[in-house]
Amino acid sequence: MGGSELVLVIVVVTALAFDVTNGFHDTANVVATAISTHALPPRVAIAGASILNFVGAFVSLKVAATVAQGFVTGSAVTTTVVFCGLVGAIAWNLITWYFGLPSSSSHALIGGLVGSVIVARGFAQVSGSGLLGKLIVPAIVAPVVAFVVAGTAILIIYRIVGRLAPGPVNRGFRAGQIASSALLALSHGTNDAQKTMGVITLALISHGDVAAKGFHVPVWVVLSAASAIALGTFSGGWRIIRTMGTRIIKMDPAQGFAAQGAGAAVILAASSVGYPLSTTHVISGGIMGAGAAKRVSAVRWGLAGNIAAAWALTLPLAALFGGATYAVSSLFGSGALGPVLISAAALSLLAIAVVRRLQRAQPAPVAQ
Amino acid sequence: MIAALVDIGSLFKVFYASLAAGVGVAIAFSLAIYGTTRAAERRRGGRAGAAAAFGTLAAVATLVSLGAAVYGVVLVAHK
Repeated sequence: MGGSELVLVIVVVTALAFDVTNGFHDTANVVATAISTHALPPRVAIAGASILNFVGAFVSLKVAATVAQGFVTGSAVTTTVVFCGLVGAIAWNLITWYFGLPSSSSHALIGGLVGSVIVARGFAQVSGSGLLGKLIVPAIVAPVVAFVVAGTAILIIYRIVGRLAPGPVNRGFRAGQIASSALLALSHGTNDAQKTMGVITLALISHGDVAAKGFHVPVWVVLSAASAIALGTFSGGWRIIRTMGTRIIKMDPAQGFAAQGAGAAVILAASSVGYPLSTTHVISGGIMGAGAAKRVSAVRWGLAGNIAAAWALTLPLAALFGGATYAVSSLFGSGALGPVLISAAALSLLAIAVVRRLQRAQPAPVAQ
Repeated sequence: MIAALVDIGSLFKVFYASLAAGVGVAIAFSLAIYGTTRAAERRRGGRAGAAAAFGTLAAVATLVSLGAAVYGVVLVAHK
């Protein structure tokens, strides 16, 4: 195996690792409302979301095309550039996961890639119009749309069922939440797994394994990205589930249904035109809309502000991490040495974190 | 300037498709719950005709909700 093949293998493995963190990080978006309103037991909700994330990855490839072709010049991309972008995205995902902040994995991925390209080839290789038109503006508009849709939906729902006994209404909306959770998980798989497919395809194009003309995602890429996001979802990110499920607002089942339905509707509509939306932004907008329509003070706006700050910082900080990783990698030349050393360092850090966690989990010795 | 860079048509499409689907399904599902609850009440009150009417409303609204969800997925899959 030559140096370029080795880097390509590292890129594919890193992209799939990112996909696992994406599923792990975004599990909360899909299941938090259903868990917090007791529509589904946590384990069942996560297992179901995992299966539907897998299925959703096969639904459409339009977002993958946008990620692979919409933000950076194809000739500026090398496998090392993709690798460093992925490392930047994973680093930001893990930091926000640690602090329990529902930031966007999609923006982290694109930010990482853009930062890596800027350091490697300069600003001229980044498509400003692509970033603005296909990422930044939809990122601002989508949560607002979800907020409006969820708010309108919950007002109409209360109008229709407001005079009924709460028991059957809550039971009904809990049942509805099973379906809306399923749709949300499917739409999450459709939108998010495609981003990894887009990045792997970008690496394959730069390596010459896939033709740049006539965008085509190989079947093995679709299958592996679908499996990785499903695996990540199944692992579950409990910190963010708590933030999304109970800390933004205390939800009733009707609000959960309205938020999830609005989120799924926005993500599916955006996927159909190829926008790589953040599931996190959309479902957070839906949750806030469902809460604010009932009572504006029901939303914890301070927490919502923290989440918004994490959103705004995601693109530039992931770009910073991606660019810094490329700068470090380039110290070791343009071959495989940089990516190999960075992968080894990342795996070592991961191993240390796992060992420390296992040590903390061990019971204290019983005194004699 | 921003209007030249942003595909306003696609953004509007996302907005009205989301609004129609999200609010439409919420209305249909609420009517399903309303119909089911009222049908049960009428049945307990011995009013078979009214119970059947509310039962029909519930069944139609449930089918509309499920149909809208399936249609949305099929639409995305064929893009």
